Amino acid sequence: MKDFARKGPFIRVRLSEYEATLLESLLDQLTGLLGVDDSPPAADDPFERWQAEFSETGTLDDTDPVIERLFPAAYRDDPSASAEFRRFTQARQRQDRIDQAELVMTALRDSDGGHKPVQVRVIEVDQWLKVLTAVRLSLAVRLGIESAADADELDGLGEDDPRSYVYRVYEWIGYLSEGLLSQA
Amino acid sequence: MTVRPEEEQLLDAGWVTIVWDDPVNLMSYVTHVFTTYFGYPEVKASKLMLQVHTEGKAAVSQGSREKMESDVDAMHSYGLWASLEKSS
Repeated sequence: MKDFARKGPFIRVRLSEYEATLLESLLDQLTGLLGVDDSPPAADDPFERWQAEFSETGTLDDTDPVIERLFPAAYRDDPSASAEFRRFTQARQRQDRIDQAELVMTALRDSDGGHKPVQVRVIEVDQWLKVLTAVRLSLAVRLGIESAADADELDGLGEDDPRSYVYRVYEWIGYLSEGLLSQA
Repeated sequence: MTVRPEEEQLLDAGWVTIVWDDPVNLMSYVTHVFTTYFGYPEVKASKLMLQVHTEGKAAVSQGSREKMESDVDAMHSYGLWASLEKSS
């Protein structure tokens, strides 16, 4: 874990320029999936937020397997209770994830694209971990990882297989999370 | 979260939050979530994490339906695969 060092209230992470760009693009993809472009501006007004929670257009496409994994059914045997749960929780979960992604993007920008160490505030480490996990989960869904055996199989793929690159990115996100956890 | 009549809430204390095994989340991370969110000691958190991993699921908290909904919401925010059900 030589790339991670605790320094007072910060964890310093060394990323290459390539890694910083990669992480930024993964976060872009995540916020795109969460519909950041067409969502209403961050509602500070509780009434607007309440309206957003109730509007039908505010719910995400849960036939997308990534959305399904990020917002799993809260009631396994009760689709209508699960739908109601989503209606009450999804707007805020979405906004939180977008805010987490922005927090990480800001830190990446402050690092001058990886030229300086990325500074992670220890008090914000859970926000980092949450959004890194969301990225990792979405990659796992795209890779079709449903069991440990699936992951082992991907691990053994040759470099010429296109999934092998995505799998290495998936592993790298795990490495970042482990590194942050080791210093938190 | 969900608003219910008071008498229903009184009858409503027997719910559990279940965390299901998934091949993606790291063991260290799951333990971290259990210590951070529930405030469980490291030993209890690791034990629950291992139970999820080896048995496929574990009940990680128990209480009213409303409380379990907020626990499930929190587990989802961490990317854990969680649901709530009536405790047996």
